[in-house]
Amino acid sequence: MHRLGGVGIAAFDRQKLSTQSYAQLSNQLSKTQVDNLQAQLTLFRESLLRFASTHREDIKKDPNFRHAFQQMCSNIGVDPLAGPRKGGWWAEALDLGDWQYELGVQIVDICVSTRERNGGLIEVNELVRILTKLRGLEAGAITEEDVVRSIKTLEPLGAGYEVIEMDGGKKMVRSVVKQLDQDQTVVLAVAQVHGGMVDEQMLMREKGWTEARAKAALQNMLLRDGLCWLDEQGEGDTVLYWVPSAMQWDP
Amino acid sequence: MALSTHTTPTGFLLPSIHSAPPFFTQQPNPATQATVTEQWTKLILSYARFRRLFTLRVEDAETSGGDWDEVSRNPRINRRLLPSYLEYIISQLVAKGLAVYEPAKQTRSVQLYWRLPEEWAEVLHEWASSTGQLNTIMTFYEIVEPPLPSELSNLPISLLKKAIGILAKTARAQIIAVADGEGVRFLAGTSGR
Repeated sequence: MHRLGGVGIAAFDRQKLSTQSYAQLSNQLSKTQVDNLQAQLTLFRESLLRFASTHREDIKKDPNFRHAFQQMCSNIGVDPLAGPRKGGWWAEALDLGDWQYELGVQIVDICVSTRERNGGLIEVNELVRILTKLRGLEAGAITEEDVVRSIKTLEPLGAGYEVIEMDGGKKMVRSVVKQLDQDQTVVLAVAQVHGGMVDEQMLMREKGWTEARAKAALQNMLLRDGLCWLDEQGEGDTVLYWVPSAMQWDP
Repeated sequence: MALSTHTTPTGFLLPSIHSAPPFFTQQPNPATQATVTEQWTKLILSYARFRRLFTLRVEDAETSGGDWDEVSRNPRINRRLLPSYLEYIISQLVAKGLAVYEPAKQTRSVQLYWRLPEEWAEVLHEWASSTGQLNTIMTFYEIVEPPLPSELSNLPISLLKKAIGILAKTARAQIIAVADGEGVRFLAGTSGR
């Protein structure tokens, strides 16, 4: 009887040998595939790089073009700003400075464009949400820490951007050069717990404030700082105040 | 609370700010109010364009059941535009040239310019030439109540007259007396574009 593997102890050797050749062949095949893929990636990277450097000025100058470029990159799964955290070839190619600064620019953009409705105060969570949406990334791609660090890099500009920590651990970004006094911080914290809504009664009940103190703090925020909005149609025609930066806006 | 957009029964997409309770109260801070006025202006004009509404009255905030209920009220948050606030918003629309008091000499009713008279003039001339009505005499009635619905259907006569007046200045229309009032003849003229 003749078996393919042969008989006796030699069969083991032969089997080992054929397994080895199979492994070799498969290695070879996947190596070719990887090489191929790498070659394509290099080509793609070069093209993208060439495109980026040819249009560098346009990308920097024209916001629409920049937007389109970013859109294109995110469509094909490349984040032009998400390169290595320090420098990196994207930074070289686009000469846009590193990821952190870029994030900073977008943060300023968001802070300025939402300032009219929130009085220059925005929750870090909200910033992260808008940034993620703006860049077409998946949730979690940008973290609270990224935002806080980016704002630190903006400090030398002296624009007054600052991260404020609220009672209860919430962080907010203040983009107007004005000091929040102690009472305003408390009002903000109370509003955040109640979905943006706050009134004199709440401050008196929850913080033990006198009516005069509550009234003064709310009036200052309303009239002087534009940090909250008036609502005269509360239940039983009571007067309520709403802090837009503590409300969640679906754009 | 999350503020989100809402689609009304007539199919209009209300912006998320419409679900913010303080949106329905006049703001004492002028900077804040300026922002809100802008939002109301945008909302009112886009709703008017969507429903082809030409008139907005303070009354629309006083009584329900009118064309403006979907905008002037938000029953989901139990808020409504108060008449005095609507009157203020109306005055801002007029100040920006996006509406005129109609009739004149009162402040409770306006004609909305979701298209400016100049834009209506172009629409009108375009319609006349594309439907082969150049050089024929037409009554106003034939224009605003055409057998086939057009962009000009139900256009208020006063607005139509303004548009014709603008075309007349560039010799693209002529007002002509007809048996039962006034009529108009459109002329090819220079396109003005």
